Amino acid sequence: MSTPIRFALIGNPNCGKTSLFNRLTGARAKVANYPGVTVERRSGWVTGLQQPAELLDLPGTYSLFVTSPDEQVARDVILGQLAGERRPDLLIAVIDACNLRLGLRLVMELKSLNRPMILALNQMDEAKRRGISINTVALSQAIGIPIIETVAVNSQGVAELRKVLDGYAQQPSTPEGEQVLALSDRQESVEALYAEIESIISQHVIQPTHLPRWQDRLDSLVMHPLLGLVVLFSILLVIFQAVFAWASPVVDLIDAGFSGLGGLVGAVLPDGILKDFIVDGLIAGVGGVLVFLPQIIILFFFILVLEDTGYLTRAAFLLDRPMRGLGLSGRSFIPLLSSFACAVPGIMATRTIADPRERFITIMVAPLMTCSARLPVYALIIAAFIPEQTVWGFFNLQGLTLFALYFAGVASAALIAWIMRRRASGREEFPLLLELPTYRWPMAYHLLMGLRERAWIFIRRVGTIILALSIVLWFLATFPGAPADATQPAIDYSFAGQLGHFMQPLFAPLGFNWQMCIALIPAMGAREVAVSALATVYAVGEESIDVALGSALAASWSLPVAFSYLAWFVYAPQCISTIAVVKRETNSIKATTFFTIYLFALSYFAAWATYQIASAIVG
Amino acid sequence: MNTAVFANTLPTTLRLDQCRKGATVRVTGLIEQPLFGSQDERVSLRLKELGFLPGAPLKVIGFGLLGSDPLAVQVNGTKFALRRAEAAKICVEPIDNPSL
Repeated sequence: MSTPIRFALIGNPNCGKTSLFNRLTGARAKVANYPGVTVERRSGWVTGLQQPAELLDLPGTYSLFVTSPDEQVARDVILGQLAGERRPDLLIAVIDACNLRLGLRLVMELKSLNRPMILALNQMDEAKRRGISINTVALSQAIGIPIIETVAVNSQGVAELRKVLDGYAQQPSTPEGEQVLALSDRQESVEALYAEIESIISQHVIQPTHLPRWQDRLDSLVMHPLLGLVVLFSILLVIFQAVFAWASPVVDLIDAGFSGLGGLVGAVLPDGILKDFIVDGLIAGVGGVLVFLPQIIILFFFILVLEDTGYLTRAAFLLDRPMRGLGLSGRSFIPLLSSFACAVPGIMATRTIADPRERFITIMVAPLMTCSARLPVYALIIAAFIPEQTVWGFFNLQGLTLFALYFAGVASAALIAWIMRRRASGREEFPLLLELPTYRWPMAYHLLMGLRERAWIFIRRVGTIILALSIVLWFLATFPGAPADATQPAIDYSFAGQLGHFMQPLFAPLGFNWQMCIALIPAMGAREVAVSALATVYAVGEESIDVALGSALAASWSLPVAFSYLAWFVYAPQCISTIAVVKRETNSIKATTFFTIYLFALSYFAAWATYQIASAIVG
Repeated sequence: MNTAVFANTLPTTLRLDQCRKGATVRVTGLIEQPLFGSQDERVSLRLKELGFLPGAPLKVIGFGLLGSDPLAVQVNGTKFALRRAEAAKICVEPIDNPSL
């Protein structure tokens, strides 16, 4: 058998390409990145064919005269100019029947390449509902390309499309040798092509001059200066609330489940290294991966719904101006907002940002949004050091401190985004030009497949790194064990403890003692672990950990030290899961290294400055 | 490629970025936008590809938060968001009898 036949879906953004892809492949997509770029490569095998046939879902594109990395990839694949990527044998051009002009324009451009091509006229049901009537047979003759009507919502037209693909796959594909594809240069005018399309449409298509009324009504609400704001903030509030609060019962359940499982296994296994490894290393590590899933699934549920309905682009449109001051765009808002709950789903959500530089900057600053894992650390230190008193009438001093910590994160993110954008501004920028798709009802099938895909990507690509690193951390904190006549807590004798002692001189300018340094190491697994690690090194019992630990800290740290530790936690990329997800999403070791080093440098500097200034004031 | 520059010579020409919400206008041509530098031609090309061609009817349907930038327009039944810099490339004339 020679290499299997390869089909590729190509079409405008929002034409329903991906739903069609899910239908044809049974949603078994292999998701990766194209080499060297962060453009997502989705491929799968068409189900129900007699010959195996690969299907490529190319990035949405308006034109072969490209303006973005996405479009560049789509074009290069079609032309067979992308290294390591075989040219597709057949193009399946997907057109949204409700948006014929734009789609046909791309098809006419593709046609000039003289490649085998069929046309899937998608969203036919919606087109009929809107009173658009297309004479498919005549249209097919006029443009000289076979047309199949499809409805990606159900499998109706998809079966017919599959039949056509099957027929094509049966034919021995004719090797054309090294046929070089060239784009006609841009001299032929857009006007002439559009004139041709207008004439084709006027002959074979009857379409009403207006969009359905409710579409325009909805847009006048969404873009209303006041009500639009209310709608936007209500939606953002629900998302924020959901990621922050609704996930936590499930997270607690997973936490409890895994510690219960650890307990059960621990009771069965004989004491020893193996038991420690399985319970504290492996089971705790897997639990540490899975706790992220509720937030990821909830966030992506909202993002997918907003994307499918067409609101996501409108939110990006509305928020464009406020975010542009920072050199970002409206697209960055939701990823940054969700990073307040956790940077991991937030960074995964940056996939909705089209501009690669903006996406990079958003990833770099996302962890500066104070995530929920920092709260236990903040709460512990604030309660121990900041008196509970009222200032300026009604402000609680502890609350003000917490606010200052959140604010420090946001302000730093804004500043860093701005600096990064300024540094990159030498390169040219392509304008916004965002299509606002018509509103649609989201499809449950598409939604579920999208969620499954995201969850799977996280578990496979990020989870494995997190698991491996958390086992390394476990190892560091466990070995070597304490001697029999140990007077100090066991962690003190471990590699982590030695590392903490070793680090201490380095952190002395920040005011950190060795206990604080040791606590930083297991906190790399998850920030909130710093609390229990401090409890361990200060030998505070499990009972009423917060109160007892608080007084232990208050007794041994000075106020500048406490402030310095807080400042460290505002900036430090203290969790390997974030680093792992940055690695997966940037697909670059260089970017991940930069991310880690710049944030550690920033946290070191911030803690140092805080300590020095606070010491000077306190005296 | 030849970008239509005739509008430069007419100081009275209306540009899309000067239009109010709800305005229905017709595209008369595209002019240069120095902000885009050497990319300007590609921006013009893309605008045309998306349907911002002379004669196309166009309606301003809304603005983003904080001021009137970006703006949302409807052309040939498709809605787009444009920033002011792009909108300033598009010369328009008012139409009395909108047929959008």
